[in-house]
Amino acid sequence: MRPIDRPAPAGGSSRAARRLLPVLLLAVILPGVPWHAAAESAPGAAESAAAAYFEDHTTAAGVDRPHHNRSFHNPYARIMEGYTALGAAVAVADYDGDGFDDLFVTDSSENGANLLYHNNGDFTFTEVGKAAGVSEGNDATDASANALWFDCDGDGREDLFVVRFGHSQLFRNRGDGTFQDITVQAGLDRYLNSIVAIAFDYDRDGDLDLVLGNYFQPVNLFDPDTPRFFPESFETADNGGGVTLYRNDGPPPGSGPDGIPRFTDVTDAAGLGAHTGWSLDLGHADADLDGDQDLFVASDFGTDRFFRNNGDGTFTDITEQAVGIDTKKGMNADWGDFDNDGLFDLFVTNITDEYMREGNFLWHNDGGLSFTDVSQETGTYDTGWGWAGKFFDYDNDGWLDLYVANGWVSGGPDNYVLDIFQLIVDPDADLADARNWPPMGNKTLSGYERNVLFHNLGGTLFRDEAKRHGLDSIKDARGVAVADFDNDGRLDLFVTNAGAEPNLYRNVLPTGAHWLELLLEGSGANRAAIGARVTVTTAGGKPGAPPATQTSFVNGGNGFASQSTRRVHFGLGPADRAERVEIDWPSGRHQVFEGVAADRLLRAVEGKPRLEPLVPGGGSPTAAPARGTKTPSNPDPADPTDPADSTPGKTPKELAR
Amino acid sequence: MNVALVLFLALQSLPPAMLAVLTAPKESPGTLFDRGMSAEESGETGQALALLEQAAALAPDNLRYGAEYRQAVIAEKAYDRSIAFFESLAAAHPDSADVRLNWGYAYVDKIPAAGAITQVILANTALTHFTEAIERDPTWLALYTRGNSYVYWPAIFKRAKLGVADLERAVEISEQHEPRRYYAHAYAALGDGWWRLGDLAKAREVWQRGVDRLGAVGPLPGLDKRLALDDQALDAYLKSQYAIGQRVATDLRELWTEGVEP
Repeated sequence: MRPIDRPAPAGGSSRAARRLLPVLLLAVILPGVPWHAAAESAPGAAESAAAAYFEDHTTAAGVDRPHHNRSFHNPYARIMEGYTALGAAVAVADYDGDGFDDLFVTDSSENGANLLYHNNGDFTFTEVGKAAGVSEGNDATDASANALWFDCDGDGREDLFVVRFGHSQLFRNRGDGTFQDITVQAGLDRYLNSIVAIAFDYDRDGDLDLVLGNYFQPVNLFDPDTPRFFPESFETADNGGGVTLYRNDGPPPGSGPDGIPRFTDVTDAAGLGAHTGWSLDLGHADADLDGDQDLFVASDFGTDRFFRNNGDGTFTDITEQAVGIDTKKGMNADWGDFDNDGLFDLFVTNITDEYMREGNFLWHNDGGLSFTDVSQETGTYDTGWGWAGKFFDYDNDGWLDLYVANGWVSGGPDNYVLDIFQLIVDPDADLADARNWPPMGNKTLSGYERNVLFHNLGGTLFRDEAKRHGLDSIKDARGVAVADFDNDGRLDLFVTNAGAEPNLYRNVLPTGAHWLELLLEGSGANRAAIGARVTVTTAGGKPGAPPATQTSFVNGGNGFASQSTRRVHFGLGPADRAERVEIDWPSGRHQVFEGVAADRLLRAVEGKPRLEPLVPGGGSPTAAPARGTKTPSNPDPADPTDPADSTPGKTPKELAR
Repeated sequence: MNVALVLFLALQSLPPAMLAVLTAPKESPGTLFDRGMSAEESGETGQALALLEQAAALAPDNLRYGAEYRQAVIAEKAYDRSIAFFESLAAAHPDSADVRLNWGYAYVDKIPAAGAITQVILANTALTHFTEAIERDPTWLALYTRGNSYVYWPAIFKRAKLGVADLERAVEISEQHEPRRYYAHAYAALGDGWWRLGDLAKAREVWQRGVDRLGAVGPLPGLDKRLALDDQALDAYLKSQYAIGQRVATDLRELWTEGVEP
């Protein structure tokens, strides 16, 4: 691998504390001044010795309904219930286009309602799932496992795909707060034990395709006709559900502007059919910067898989070349450029506990589709029994931090490890036969594990700051959604927990590192601009300055049991403007915007020469209750987001590839 | 089908240990061993493995031949080869304790190359063969080996008590013989067992007892290091020493250097 040789940011805690003092004084003296203004008096003061940057607002925000695991009523129920303690998932999107990200949260119990939390704009939410027609995701033959917002028809409205053990559901967003179930018309009515879905334009035909990761084979889990549907091996199992790739063929000819898109299973034709592992998560990114989206499959009970996009509608399995064959229990795939070298790296969780030391993977992208695991070197190796792990810059210092959800089943004092051990060491055991797996009952397996917040110390090392920020919950966490729910430029967290209440953590970062947040709108059917790459360049030189260049992208649902915001967020530290913002659109168009003022929510529309303010509250700037959101009331003559600025030479450049 | 081919195919179907005996040149096991070691040193790995197998097959109770053969196997990452070889050697020599020891070590040798679950299976299988060795001849080495293996198991498996019991017997045997430096391993492991059981005072007492008993023989870095660390540092050190999956030295070379006692 390339050496990771970036020095840690200068300045220790005492230096940070010296910076913090004037910030606190300003906050007391000038209570009416937006927090970002205080930031300008203390550039780079992103560190505090003891302050917590997150507050738990779960109950206050009205999102505290607990998740319920599924119970089974078949001969294998005693083991099924333990192994399906999944399904606590969350998907984030602004489904009603009011400028605030909303939440869709799944339940898994037979009569459990899935929840659509409408963001009221004041960090409270109203549950509207039933009225919207998306609450009925569980019944006797289907259990919700995950969810994905994606604009399947390119109408600019986020549609909803509910991933299920059973028949998944596709709900079309009517645009009036309600949804229409179009699963059958879309060609998606099929029994699969899916656990994850992501959407991206794999064939670059302009619309969003759908990739499903399936855990079990398509055996009816609720009434199995065979007992042999469990993993045949703990390390090399190939009898899972694999992946399913649905190509979006658009609406049938003649169906008019409201035609429902049809999806066609092209798994085998695209080269993904040979993977028959126990898929737990999917992550897409343009790993080699060749303009198409590559695919990583995190797999339980066997090797993860890396598929290179050949650019012609097919993929090639390059696992051995890219990351090597492993025997671990991959559970998460999130891409992010943690060392700001311009290449997207990958975080995969595995199982690390007293009895099994797999360790997570932090795959550093070395270029040329070759990766090196730097989890040991960076301190991200051991979090526990990991689930979702999400990159995000919680302190706006320009370095991607990492939040990891941990813990399998927190039960009674007896430990299930000892039971499973007997199965492991039995050379004659038929693992695929569910009857041979010992029942879990109320036993604990890697339970009561703390979630971990890794603070990125300059791209070479991470330090766990979860306890300091109150993020070290010991619930059996599953998904982590990152979003700026109050549009204040500080990234919040929504964490799902199996069989328990979720946690909504509001980011209250007290000091004012600058930031920039972009919502992209692409041309064509991929209006969500999934796959678009955004590069932000700031001037260096200031103390605590982040690296000159940061790169992010619009992702289509990466990360276990959780879809984060579609916006791209950049922490800018002390930089109060970005010198350049470059967007590489999925269409191939390249746009450059120069001199973009910080602390703004902006909309970038493909082909439009200017960035537009993304005004919360349905278009009226005065309706925005967000704290610290800069509105265009103070035009900056050098700002390309300023409609008044028409100075020649300051307009964005469109550069053909 | 010609005779040579029939013979070749017949030979290939034989257990590895029998094959080694049948194909061995008319030389003494010692000569074969020396030639095998020379071949290993000069990088002729295939030749080295064949010669060392022949030496071990002709002298199954020679612990050293088997141990050096396993080191050559480790260098070649041919772990399954040595496991199969010792399995067949054990079948041919069911009463040999040393063959069972080497068979168990062969599983231990493979652990770093295996996945986390397979590591558990390998470690457990090794314990089975160490037990078989003790059943045949409860030597200091066999008891130390099994006892130390138990200490490697995470506390949740509750095997440390078994390890302490074996290691106390091993120390007891060692104290009936002339002091040798390698006995310090048993004191170290016994103390480690008490650490695993959460009794650091007892652990330090055992390590000190080892120093008192063997200190005059020569330096005892393993025991000295443990005794020099405070509780926190000691815990970190021992956790690193017993980290799952790391390679454990099984070459036994200290024994040949100092001379083997029962």
